[in-house]
Amino acid sequence: MSQSGRQKAAFTESAHGSGEIRLVNISKQFGDSYAVQDINLTIPHGSYCCLLGPSGCGKTTILRMIAGHETPTSGEVWIGDQMVVGKPPVERGTAMMFQNYALFPHLSVLDNVAFYLKMRGMGKEERRARAEEMLKRVQLDHLKDRMPAQLSGGQQQRVALARSLITNPRVLLLDEPLSALDEFLRLRMRGELKSLQNELGITFVHVTHTQPEAIALANMVVVMDTGRIDQADTANVIFDRPTTPYVARFMGGQNVLTGTVFDRKDGRVQLKASSGAIFEVNAADTPESPQVSIAVRRDRIHLRRRTDPKSDDINAIGGRVVATEYQGSYVKVTIDVGNDVFVANVSDSAYFRDPVDVADVVVATWMVEDVHVLTKIDTGRAGDPYLEKGE
Amino acid sequence: MSASTTYGPRPWTFYVLASLFTLFVIFLYGPMVSVLILSFQGPSGSLVFPLRDPSVMWFSELFRPHRVGDVPGAFARSLPLALVVMLLTVLISVSAGFAFRKRFFGSTVLFYMAIASLIVPGLVLSIGILVTFRYFGLPAAWYTSALGAHLSWALPFGLLIMFAILGRLNPSYEEAAYDLGATRWQSVKDVVIPIVFPGMIAVALFGFTLSYDEFPRSWLTVGTKNTLPLEIWTMTTNVTSPALYALGTVTTIISFIVIAIALGSIILIQRKRSRGL
Repeated sequence: MSQSGRQKAAFTESAHGSGEIRLVNISKQFGDSYAVQDINLTIPHGSYCCLLGPSGCGKTTILRMIAGHETPTSGEVWIGDQMVVGKPPVERGTAMMFQNYALFPHLSVLDNVAFYLKMRGMGKEERRARAEEMLKRVQLDHLKDRMPAQLSGGQQQRVALARSLITNPRVLLLDEPLSALDEFLRLRMRGELKSLQNELGITFVHVTHTQPEAIALANMVVVMDTGRIDQADTANVIFDRPTTPYVARFMGGQNVLTGTVFDRKDGRVQLKASSGAIFEVNAADTPESPQVSIAVRRDRIHLRRRTDPKSDDINAIGGRVVATEYQGSYVKVTIDVGNDVFVANVSDSAYFRDPVDVADVVVATWMVEDVHVLTKIDTGRAGDPYLEKGE
Repeated sequence: MSASTTYGPRPWTFYVLASLFTLFVIFLYGPMVSVLILSFQGPSGSLVFPLRDPSVMWFSELFRPHRVGDVPGAFARSLPLALVVMLLTVLISVSAGFAFRKRFFGSTVLFYMAIASLIVPGLVLSIGILVTFRYFGLPAAWYTSALGAHLSWALPFGLLIMFAILGRLNPSYEEAAYDLGATRWQSVKDVVIPIVFPGMIAVALFGFTLSYDEFPRSWLTVGTKNTLPLEIWTMTTNVTSPALYALGTVTTIISFIVIAIALGSIILIQRKRSRGL
């Protein structure tokens, strides 16, 4: 049996029980405004859950209410079979990793990790031995006598992880844990977090505003918009089949189009956009409303050169190229379609066969199978992270 | 830095500011050095330069009571007074600093009331305290009325320093401590106090020096026995020997020792926190 296997067994033995989190009608008010409004969410035991949204959407407030650093104005927080509102973090079985790690600057790495045991009155020798064991797990035992200020960002993060894990939590809460790292370290620590969660089998709740981070890590992604949950599902569903225009735009992989229903036949519904373009969708998914918004995956778009952007084809939209961005395996082509921009992620092989350039006129077409109907009408660009730099 | 990396002559402002700073340094340390040198005046020397037959006779004169005034007695009052003021300033400023981290009813008014004693003239305050003590029939003494007068001066400084220090303290340290099972008291004892300790030394240093050389607030409040600054002042009016300089030298050295201890401990703590850097 491997060392990690034995440690895993030790964890499950001493854990406080199930790490299922249930938020029931949770609201949090600061003054007159709601940071979080009437949220219901169940995070299954042992899942890696990412709370995703732009800054100010309330994701950190939810995390802090689970952690016990914030008291909800109303509603209940359940962890396992315990209603935990009003209880301190240790009784909840949660441990939180802070955004800036909050390592105590006056204590060595070893004493930082041993802090929890010291608070519980464990003797110096024993707690230091146990802290050293925990540091070995994050491969930092050789730095145990250093002070936090002498560590790199990645090392500090591992110390913070070790300090949290020594409490034997059933839920680990991570507040933007990767935001302080550079790109290279971020990808590495991302992998380490994921394998750590696999190994421990406890619930991880991770707050982030970065879409690739969320879909790479999570088996459950919760997309939030100003105090509300827009969609909570697996990473694949969130990315491939967003339910609202907000989620579709925020996840970044989709084009959102809106049209008025003008024909229904043969199981298909035809929509007419304000530009005159006609889109077709499957009638089965289409709500009985005069207007419908749809989403089309950016990487399922076919581009053709044209001299005239007007096109009478179905499922086609024409315009002038305003930007091309080489991304390695694909090229991101941004097209001005009048009142909005349309993005096509063209595979590099297809693109370089006939490269389009800025100011070229193109028509983008797609198959009806790649269209996906949204449950709400698009009201604009709300939630587009590139247009709404809220930070 | 930038002056050494730019090519070509230095701007004229450099020479103006450099001379200004030189004048400042001469003005600051020149008198101190003069006093230091003249305190070693020999028996045939006078109160002014030149220095004749250097000796340490005026230092021994200093510690013989009743020849040049009661210097040892004054020192024996000033030192404990400064230490008590230091201790109380740290205790009160730190707890007040914590209290002011949360906004409470009347906190702004209370803050300005505490700060107001910085602008009340010291001599007026001294008279006021004496009159009040008389009214209540209490005798004025260095360990009662003078202690209060000194605190009215040292506390606002201590409070302002603590505000600056606690304002910079990231609340996530306390949250992390709470997250790791610390009680309120444990989080103060094991996290907050150690982190703000260098600041507390600065408060202590202010408390000590503000009391140790305080004159106006001591003037009428010390009662019948003088503190050191008052004793020195008395001596300037009736002692006409270099013993005065010897006294200046000794008190300056004591001040420097206190500052050295304070700064040394701050440096020691910071070095311990960043060993090897």
